[in-house]
Amino acid sequence: MTTMPPAHLRLTTVDSEDTVRIELHGDLDYDTADDLLAEVTAVLGARPHLDDLHLHCAGLGTVDSMGLSILLMVRRRTGQAGVRLHLDDRPAVLDRLLTITGSLNYLTGSSPGGGNSASLDVGEAPGAGDEARAARPTGPDGTS
Amino acid sequence: MVSTKPQSGAGTEHGSAWGEAPYPVLVADAQGAVVLRNAAAGALLPAAGPGTRFHDVVPAWLSAADQAVRTSGAKAAQEADAPLSGVIGDRSFEAHPSAREDGTVAWWLVDDTDHLLAREALRLERTRTAFLTEASSTLLASLNLGRCMDVTASLAAEHLCDAALVIAPTHGRRLPVVTCLRDGTPSLSHESVDPDDVPGLGEALRGFPPVPSRWIDPSAAPDWMVPGEFGEVGSIVITPLPGHGVPAGALVLLRRADSAAFTDSEEVFARLFAARAGAAMSAARLYAEQTSITDVLMRELLPPSLHQISGVDYAGGYRPSADHERIGGDFYDVHPAAVDGEASLVTLGDVCGKGLEAAVLTGKIRNTLHALLPLADDHQRMITLLNTALLNSHHTRFATLVLASAVRAGNEVQLRLTSAGHPTPLVVRANGTVEEAETRGTLVGAMPQAPAHTTTLTLAPGESCVLYTDGITEAEGGPMGGVQFGEARLKRILAECAGMPSESIVERVQMLAAQWIGTGRHDDMAVVVISAPRTHHLSAVDGHTRGRFTA
Repeated sequence: MTTMPPAHLRLTTVDSEDTVRIELHGDLDYDTADDLLAEVTAVLGARPHLDDLHLHCAGLGTVDSMGLSILLMVRRRTGQAGVRLHLDDRPAVLDRLLTITGSLNYLTGSSPGGGNSASLDVGEAPGAGDEARAARPTGPDGTS
Repeated sequence: MVSTKPQSGAGTEHGSAWGEAPYPVLVADAQGAVVLRNAAAGALLPAAGPGTRFHDVVPAWLSAADQAVRTSGAKAAQEADAPLSGVIGDRSFEAHPSAREDGTVAWWLVDDTDHLLAREALRLERTRTAFLTEASSTLLASLNLGRCMDVTASLAAEHLCDAALVIAPTHGRRLPVVTCLRDGTPSLSHESVDPDDVPGLGEALRGFPPVPSRWIDPSAAPDWMVPGEFGEVGSIVITPLPGHGVPAGALVLLRRADSAAFTDSEEVFARLFAARAGAAMSAARLYAEQTSITDVLMRELLPPSLHQISGVDYAGGYRPSADHERIGGDFYDVHPAAVDGEASLVTLGDVCGKGLEAAVLTGKIRNTLHALLPLADDHQRMITLLNTALLNSHHTRFATLVLASAVRAGNEVQLRLTSAGHPTPLVVRANGTVEEAETRGTLVGAMPQAPAHTTTLTLAPGESCVLYTDGITEAEGGPMGGVQFGEARLKRILAECAGMPSESIVERVQMLAAQWIGTGRHDDMAVVVISAPRTHHLSAVDGHTRGRFTA
């Protein structure tokens, strides 16, 4: 483990019986985030019966908005594939980013199915789900 | 006559060897009579039989050379490097004399026609390659369509023809035409003509189906195609300018009646030139189109300038990540209430990504929020609807934003604040304390739901609420470099801003963040400040207010 994370994202994929662990080293940002999505897509494609995907985050440097966007995409893909996503050993900055943006529960919730784990730990969210459905007569293209 | 016998004897003696020689050989005696010729010479100069006068049967250049050899010797008549040469029939020959002591001169003729042709072809190719290289570098140096057309016309007029026209395809009714005479200056005109009236021009301008260069009858050329002072036209060829998948226009080459007509190879060469010119022109055209798209988008996407509305002060400042781009991923807007006395809606947000892509998404978000204004009294509902509108199966590009509804109540300002996954707004109290607004929510556009918590608070006169994007707090720099500006520093600066007008706070935050960054790279940075004006008297209030604040 390096103390100064390299600027480029380095991914190490460790494969075991029913889990895959990807170690992230470096910055997850505008220039590098797509690499992670490509790696996860490849893993999900190669392992149709996967139960758990662990992203080992201790080596992460900067995570910018594109990095977060890709984490959300990873979460969407794993949800669709019925795979549980785990963000392990999160550095404090990542936790802070996920907390501010309200994406911590969604990204780290244990349910592979998805939708309901997005509930927020900040109190009331009155009828948000109902309104979303009502306002979307054509159906959610995001998850259909 | 005396010498005839030995000479003819020599001829007979060597006849068999010379007779079979592949090169024509002629031998003339001192009196200028042909004494011997071999089979090859016989085929070349049938009239030059033995006994005929050499000067009568060979071309003048060879006859003159023979004279020179006899008067001054073979060496002198022949320049060191340049052999004597000339044309016999339709072929070119080098002539090598060998003078003998008995006064006879043997002329060895070597056919160098193919050699000359190859040399000429090489010279021509070299000239053309040099020209094409020059054309490419001149054309590619410019991304200005007008300049590319000028360069194309003047290069063509200089190297290919007596006058050249470059015609650009157009969607309008007037055809842009650049005309250039040889050694002249290109001039642009617009012709109100139908290109289909000229054979081949319409097809060339459409670019599809691909058409070859086309000859047209000079008398069929319309007047606008022939420059006024040009004179009689000898030949005209129209060559399409192929672009990057789009037609770039047509090149019309004109030659005067007294110039040679275009040869096939010249036409091929014109096409090679046209390909380069077309590529440069279509690159310039695409660039111009992109520039104009960017300009249009920028005008739409630029953040507005803010001012006082209904007794509430607003100020905003924005600095995109790249200074040469004026738009980016941050945005803010203030929407005045439809009905006076109701709350105005302030939005400030940040979309993920940067540059034009991000700017387009901010445009979408700003439009959606604008359309949702009637629901502005329910922030959660707006955010939920916005989330739904932005959800997209292809990507998880999200936005974080703050909604703030501000209304003047007496001399105070009532605020409802909702953060959708955005850095918490800061409230600068009159006594210099800086509070975090207690609102928190989720980002929009990536997750199925976007719950958020709204908070309400009151700004006393002179107090402000500061909305900002993380470009400020995450700006890296400082005296040693590499340190984030940070929330704590921002709070300290804001504490010093207590009681300051909204514009001053925006300027101070922007200035200090800019100083912090120095020359380093940074993300988009946006700040909006909502202030309750320091007003104690009705007369001091801007005329926009309704004056109820005295209550």
